[in-house]
Order: sequence, then structure tokens, then C-alpha cells
Amino acid sequence: MEGLSAFAAAIAAFATPSSLFNVVWATLLGIAVGMMPGLTATLGVALLTTLTFRMAAGDAILILICTYVGAIYGGSRTAVLLNIPGTPANAASTLDGYPLARAGRAGEALGIATIGSFLGSIFGMLMLVLIAPELAEFGLKFQSFEFVWLAIFGVVIAGRITALDDPIKGWIAGFLGLLMAQVGQEGIHAYARFSYGSTDLSGGLGLLPALVGAFGFAEILSVMKQASYETVRDAGRRILPKMRDITTRWWTVLRSSVLGTVMGIVPGVGEDMGAWVSYAAARRASREPETFGKGSTEGLLAAETGNNAAVPGAIIPVLTLAVPGSAPAAVLLAAMFIHGVRPGPMIMVEFPNFVFEVAAMLFWASVAILVLGLALTRPMLHVLRVPREYLMPLVFVLCVVGSFAIASRVFDVWVMLGFGLLGFVLREMNYPMAPLVLGIVLGDLLDKNFRRAMVLSEGSLEPLVTRPISAVLALLTLAVVLWGIAPVRRGVARLFGARNLSKWQ
Amino acid sequence: MPADRRGDLWFSLLLTVLSLVVVIESWRMPRLQDLGVHPMSAPGLTPGLIGLVLLLLGLLLLLRSLRERRATASPVPSRPAVAGHRGRALLAVGLCLAYALGLLGRLPFAWATGLFVFAFVAAFGFERARPWRTLGGAAAMAVFTAIAVTLLFEQLFLVRLP
Repeated sequence: MEGLSAFAAAIAAFATPSSLFNVVWATLLGIAVGMMPGLTATLGVALLTTLTFRMAAGDAILILICTYVGAIYGGSRTAVLLNIPGTPANAASTLDGYPLARAGRAGEALGIATIGSFLGSIFGMLMLVLIAPELAEFGLKFQSFEFVWLAIFGVVIAGRITALDDPIKGWIAGFLGLLMAQVGQEGIHAYARFSYGSTDLSGGLGLLPALVGAFGFAEILSVMKQASYETVRDAGRRILPKMRDITTRWWTVLRSSVLGTVMGIVPGVGEDMGAWVSYAAARRASREPETFGKGSTEGLLAAETGNNAAVPGAIIPVLTLAVPGSAPAAVLLAAMFIHGVRPGPMIMVEFPNFVFEVAAMLFWASVAILVLGLALTRPMLHVLRVPREYLMPLVFVLCVVGSFAIASRVFDVWVMLGFGLLGFVLREMNYPMAPLVLGIVLGDLLDKNFRRAMVLSEGSLEPLVTRPISAVLALLTLAVVLWGIAPVRRGVARLFGARNLSKWQ
Repeated sequence: MPADRRGDLWFSLLLTVLSLVVVIESWRMPRLQDLGVHPMSAPGLTPGLIGLVLLLLGLLLLLRSLRERRATASPVPSRPAVAGHRGRALLAVGLCLAYALGLLGRLPFAWATGLFVFAFVAAFGFERARPWRTLGGAAAMAVFTAIAVTLLFEQLFLVRLP
């Protein structure tokens, strides 16, 4: 009850003209970023983190959350109209969104995506208000041993899920990220690792320049390499969905919201899986499964509810354990540190109102996507008509300015360029980027806690597998690794005769 | 041998060598025992273990690539190295690096940015529109970006520009 009143007070506190102005422009910018094929939520949040770091913490984090929610929602526009997911989180939305658009029901499909995204975000936000304080309290039981497993589990599951066909590449990306985080002064004895006398390297590879490179510069190169995409002319006449499509599918909305939030909470899994799992569950439970993939409003509703519910879900572990649920949430975590907020199990002790303030920011962002999404559907289509050769140099200029802005170091621009080229090459070879990002973010957490744990246990690895929470996390990690080994998967499938397992192979 | 598998082979070799270097360098890092530091908190411990995991993954990828190389040695014709338009990606890399490493710092930010944007739009715009229209659009975009970015970030976001 105390939490709900703090939440209500936080919503009221953000209802000022200046905050609402920030909500509107940041959400619109997020929607525009999400709509542009190739530009992702991670890039939007990373670029804005570098450009807003001089603002007051509350304003800056509000802007970042609105951009994040807006971008995940904005990608649905492109999925429906162009059959190209605006962000990876909207890939499932193409399956039914585009057939609906081809059937002349584009406006209706955009409306369904808007309502689904709004409801998913609001449900996830409520879960954040209810779960985060409890999870933070539970997190107080975590010691170094548990944080070691949390970091490893995050990288392993992100590597597995983002590279379903070839998990070894996902794990390589994740452990490369962990390795890159080891460059520079370490956090216990301030020894400069892999620096070779360079003062720039001893300061470490900046997280944000690395992210801006891996998601900005690399994306520019990927976009420019592709043949140009077709632009759309019309969204159709009807923009509002039939309310019957929503009210009769309340169970789909609820199920997708729950699944999306849970997928968001699991470290490193994020919005993409939120959408896919919700879509798969909706198809399995539907009375008309044959319509899925051919323009099912239920499928589109499930996918868009699931991915937007995963946004607050991914923020829950950021706030309570300082472990991101997705790549954009990893950037948000870095932004919180920059602004002097220290997320983690102590959050309810050190910053007791912050969880509710973040929930209030999510509330306003959700309202903004609903209002702006329904009111500005047609004008926003102009974003898709901007030729990419006009947009991409502007994005690159922002990447350079953003990398330089935080510390005024030219070295950070080099880091951005290096990670951009590396990210582009890795993408070309089908290495996923999300585990790399997660590895970079979790590298410091892993390093400090592993060495502390080893000191505490006098070098014994036993507590890593005998402490109850550690043991659970160790088993989960082992299960994810085994699930990634094809012969093991086939063996399990044979053992249980489960046909369904074949789709994961 | 398909191009992506050939890429895997080279990358796995590179990763294996890099991981070995990381493991050796981590081992060579000072243990700081003369400062009374607990040996289990030595700076090289975590990077060394990460290096070992990467070494294992690199070797697995290498073995897999070699096995697939043997399996598809003769009959499968190789397809072009990179599907799509590698030339366009290289042009974008060249223009971006020329701006970030060549122009910035030598010219005032607004001038460098204007030149870069003009060159980028002009280079990629020709395949879409007529030359005079492309050049006009490139010039307009260059002036707009140079002025807007400079004013916006210096005056509104109070950010130092490179």
C-alpha cells in the first residue's frame, strides 16, 4: 500500500509541463528510431545517454525510458508496413502484421499493435511496482558467489537464446564482451590490465562508446550495405482497431503480458524473446491457429503485448540486482550509474523512491505511445520516406559527438570506431551483439565478485555449488549449456518423445 | 567450402591465438604478494579464466570448421564471399573513417561535419536521383546538419564537440 501511494505520488510529480514535454519528444524520437530499419532501441538509448548526461538525473532517465519504450513500440510500424522488423523485438510482428497490411487493414493492424504495446507496458509497469521491492529484498541474500553465477548465467543464456542455431557463436560473443571489460584498471587493487603503459587504455574501454560503436556505426554499415527498402504510401483509412478484437482477447493480452514480463526479467533474454514466446503461446492456445502467419489480429496482439511487457520486465533486474534483462536495459543501467544512482539489492535502502519513480516514467511513456501512436500514425510514416543516405551520415555524426561528449577523450571516438568495425564483421559472420553488450556490462561485476568469493572461500570453489541460491543458478547455467549441445538435445527429445523439442533444434 | 564456414575457420584461428595470448598475459600479471595481497585476488585471475573459456570455444569452432571443410571439400561450389553489396559497405567505412580520423580536429567541427555529410549523401545518392538533384540535396543536408548539430549540442545539451 505504501508502495502504491509512492507510485501515485511519483506519477503526479512527473505531470509538470517540462517533464511532459520531455516525455513527448523523447517518445517521438524513440518511435522514429524504432521505425527506421537498422536503428535499434539500444542505439537510441546509448546515443541519448551520451547526449543527456549533463541533465538532471530524473530528466535524463525519464528521456531514456521514453526513448526505450518508444523504440520497441515504433518497430511495429515498420514490421506491419514493410515486413521488416524496425527493431529485432518486432520480428514476430511481421508474421501477421504484414499480411494484414496487404489485405488493406494496415491502419487497423497499427492500432492493434499500439493497444497491445500500451497494455503490455502498463502490465509490466505494475509488475515492476509489485515485484521490484520484493526482489531487491531477496537480492540482499546474494553474496559474491551468487553474483558470479548471475553474471555467468546472463552471458550464457543471452548467448544461447540470441543464437538458437549456433549457440557457440553466442557464447563467444558473450565471453569476448567479458574479456573486453577486463581492459584497464581493475576495481580491487587498481592494477592496469592489458594497458601496456597507455593512459588511455588504463582508463578502460568506455562502455557507452563501445555500445554506440557496436549498435550505431555497425548498424550504419549494415544498412548502407543492403539494397534500399521500399517505402510505404498509405496506412489505410481505419487507424483505431475494433475494440471487440481487444476485449474478446483479454486472455491473450494477459498471457502475453505475463510471458513478456518474465522473459524481460531473465538476464539477457529481453524483448525479442518476449514477443516470440508470447506469439508461440498465443498460437498454441488459439481457437484459430491456422490463421497465424496469415494476418491473425490475435498473433499481432500477442507479439506486440509481449515485447513491450518485456521492457519493464528487463528494468526489474536492473534496479534490484544491477543485472540487465536486455541490451537496451544494459545501457540504461550504465546511464543510472553515470547519474549517481546505484541500482542493486540496496536500492530500496539507498534510493527508496527510485523504483516508483522509474515505474511512473514507464507509465508516462506508455501513455505517450498510446496517444502519439494513435494520433500521429500518418504523419509518422514520413520518417520511413527519408532516404537512408540522408539519415545515416547524421546518425554517424551523432555517434562521434556522443562518444566524445562524456569524457571529451578522442580515445573514446577510436573505441567507438573499433567496436563499430568489430561489430560489423561479427554481424556479417552471424555473431549476435546482445551477449557482447551484456558481457561488457557484466565483466566488472564478475571480476570483482569472483575474486572476492575466492578470497572468502580461501580459493575453494565449493561454495559456488553448495550455497542454495548458487546451486540453483549453477544448475540453470548447466542446463542452458547442455540445451545448447545438439546431441544432448536430441537425446532428451528421444527420451521424452517430445515432438515440440524439435523446434528448438 | 561456403564463405561463412571459411570465415568461421579464420575467426576460430584468430580467437584461439588471442585467447592463448590473454591466458599467457594474465599469468604474467603481477600477483602483488609483496604488497600483502591475497593470492586469490590477483588481477590476472578473472581474465585468465575468461581466456581459458574463449580458448575452449575457439578450439571447438576450429574443430567444427575443419570437420565441415573435410565434409564439403570438393563437390560444393563456393558462393561469393559476402552476399549483398560489399563495395557500398567499404565506401561507407572509408567516408566515416575519413571524417572521424581525418577531418575532425583538423577543421572546425561544423566545416568537417558539413563536408562529410555532403560527401556521404552525394556518394550514395547518385544511384537514386539525378546528379543535380543529388548534389543540391547533399548541399542542403550538409548545411542543415553542420548548423543544427553544432547549435543543438553546444547550446542546448551543453556538450563539448570534438
